[in-house]
Amino acid sequence: MKNNFVKRITSGLLVTGLLAASLTACGSSASTSEVAEEKEGKVEAAADADAGFRTVDEIKESGTINIGVFSDKSPFGYVDENGEYAGYDVYFAERIGKDLGVDINYVSTEAANRIEYLQTGKVDIILANFTVTEERAQEVDFALPYMNVALGVVSPSDAVIESLDDIGADDQVIVISGTTAETYLTKNYPDIKLQKYDAYAEAKTAFENGNGVAWANDNTEVIAFAIENEGYEVGIPSLGDQDTIAPAVTKGNESLLNWLNDEIESLGSENFFHADYEETLLDTYGADYEDTLVVEGGK
Amino acid sequence: MNTDILIEYLPLYKDALFLTLRIGWQGIFLAFVIGLIGSAILHFKIPVLKSIVGVHIELFRNTPLLVQLFFIYFALPKVGIQVTAETCGKLGLGLLGGAYMIETFRSGLEAIPTIQTESALSLGMNDFQTLWHVILPQAVSISVPGLLANVIFLLKETSVFSTISLMDLMFTAKDLIGMYAKTIECLFLLVVFYLIMLLPISIIGAIVERRMRYGQFGD
Repeated sequence: MKNNFVKRITSGLLVTGLLAASLTACGSSASTSEVAEEKEGKVEAAADADAGFRTVDEIKESGTINIGVFSDKSPFGYVDENGEYAGYDVYFAERIGKDLGVDINYVSTEAANRIEYLQTGKVDIILANFTVTEERAQEVDFALPYMNVALGVVSPSDAVIESLDDIGADDQVIVISGTTAETYLTKNYPDIKLQKYDAYAEAKTAFENGNGVAWANDNTEVIAFAIENEGYEVGIPSLGDQDTIAPAVTKGNESLLNWLNDEIESLGSENFFHADYEETLLDTYGADYEDTLVVEGGK
Repeated sequence: MNTDILIEYLPLYKDALFLTLRIGWQGIFLAFVIGLIGSAILHFKIPVLKSIVGVHIELFRNTPLLVQLFFIYFALPKVGIQVTAETCGKLGLGLLGGAYMIETFRSGLEAIPTIQTESALSLGMNDFQTLWHVILPQAVSISVPGLLANVIFLLKETSVFSTISLMDLMFTAKDLIGMYAKTIECLFLLVVFYLIMLLPISIIGAIVERRMRYGQFGD
C-alpha cells in the first residue's frame, strides 16, 4: 500500500518535472532575437513541409489523391442519399482526379481542422469551401479562387436582425468554430457573445432549436439555409469584406500549387465553374446568384 | 514554441478550466447522489425501482457520453424541453457518472460479509440502521479507489462538451487552433491544464485512499 502511494506521488512529480523542463527549453528558444526566431521558424517550416506533402509526381505514382472536403455542408460538400460525396467543391474535386488520372480518396474535414490536415499531410488538397484570409495564407498556400463569398447573418423571421447593433448584451450569436465568421466577429465585435459549435450540422440544429438569436456564417450558407427552411430571413446578406474561396495545399508544395493554378485557368476556357454551379448550386440559389458567386478561370 | 502566445492564451484556458471544474463538480455530485440512492435500492432489492435502476445502469454505461449529450441538447428541445448547455453538461455527466457510481457502491456493499448484516439484525437493528451504521461506512471506504477513478474518468469525459458549444479546455484549444493556427502552443497548454486539473486529484486520492483503509473491521 505504502509503496503504491509513494509510486503515485513520484510519477506525479516526474510528469510535472518533465513539463517544467520542456517549458524552460521552449522559453529559452523563444527568448533569442527575433531574426533568429524567424530563421528558426523557416527551417522548421521547411522540415515540416518535407515530411508533410506530396508533389504532383508522387501523387500520380501512388495512384490516389487525398482531398479534404466537407461532408455536412450542402450544397458545397456533403454526402448524398447514396452515400456518395457531392456538391460544388466535390464536382471540382472529381475533375481534378480525372485530369491527374488518379483515384480520389475523400477525407471528411471540419472547419477547424482544415489547416492541420494539410500541415500533417493527411490530405493533399483542401477543397472545403476554404475562404482565403491573411492568417490562413501564412499557414497554407492558396491556389487561384473559384468562388466568391462574404459573411451573412440569418435570424428567425419574427425577430429579424438587420444590423449587428440589434444584438442585445445577453443574446448569443451562433458561429462555427474555425470559420471566417468567427474570426471576423471576434476581431471586430468582441462584445457580441458567440455560441460556438465545432460542426455545421450541430450549429444548424442548435439554431433551429432557438439556442441563439442569429447565426453568422458564409453568406452562401445562410442564404441557402433561409431558402430551405421556412421562417428564417437573412437580415444581413453581406458583412465584412468580399472574400474568395480557393483550393489550398500544404505550405511550400509548389508543384501541386502550380498544377492547380494551371488547371483552374484552363478550366476557365470551357466555363467549367459555371457548369459546376448549374449542376450543383442552381437548385438552391437559382440563376440570380450565378455571376455573384462563380469565379471563372481564377479571375 | 512562442512564450508570448502562451501568455496571451493563458486567460482563455483559465476560463475553460473553471468552466470544466464547475460543471465537472456539480455533475459528479449529482452522480454521487444517484450512486448512493441507486445502490441502496439495489441493496434492499426494492421492487420496480430496482428494475428502473437496472435500466439506468445499462442505458448509460452502454452509450457514449457524446450520444447522451446530443440527445439531451439537440433532441429534447424538439419535444419542447429546452435545456441550457451547462445544465445539459451537468445532467449528462451526472447520469453517466451515476450509472458508474451505483456499480462502484454496490461492489463495496457486496464486499461486506453477510454475517455482519445477520449479526446486526439479530442484535435488533432494523434494515436502515444496519446499512447506515454497519455496512455503509465499510462499503464507502472499500469503494474509495473506484470512486476516485470515476471522478477522474468523468472529468476527462468533459472533453466532449465541445459538441454542445461549451468552451471547455478541449474546445478552447481546438477553437484557437482553428482561428490562429498556433497548434503547438495550443496543444501544449491543453496538456498542461488537464494535468493541473487532474494531477492534484490523483495525488490527494492516493492520500485519502491510504487513510480510509482504517474503515474496515471484522477481518
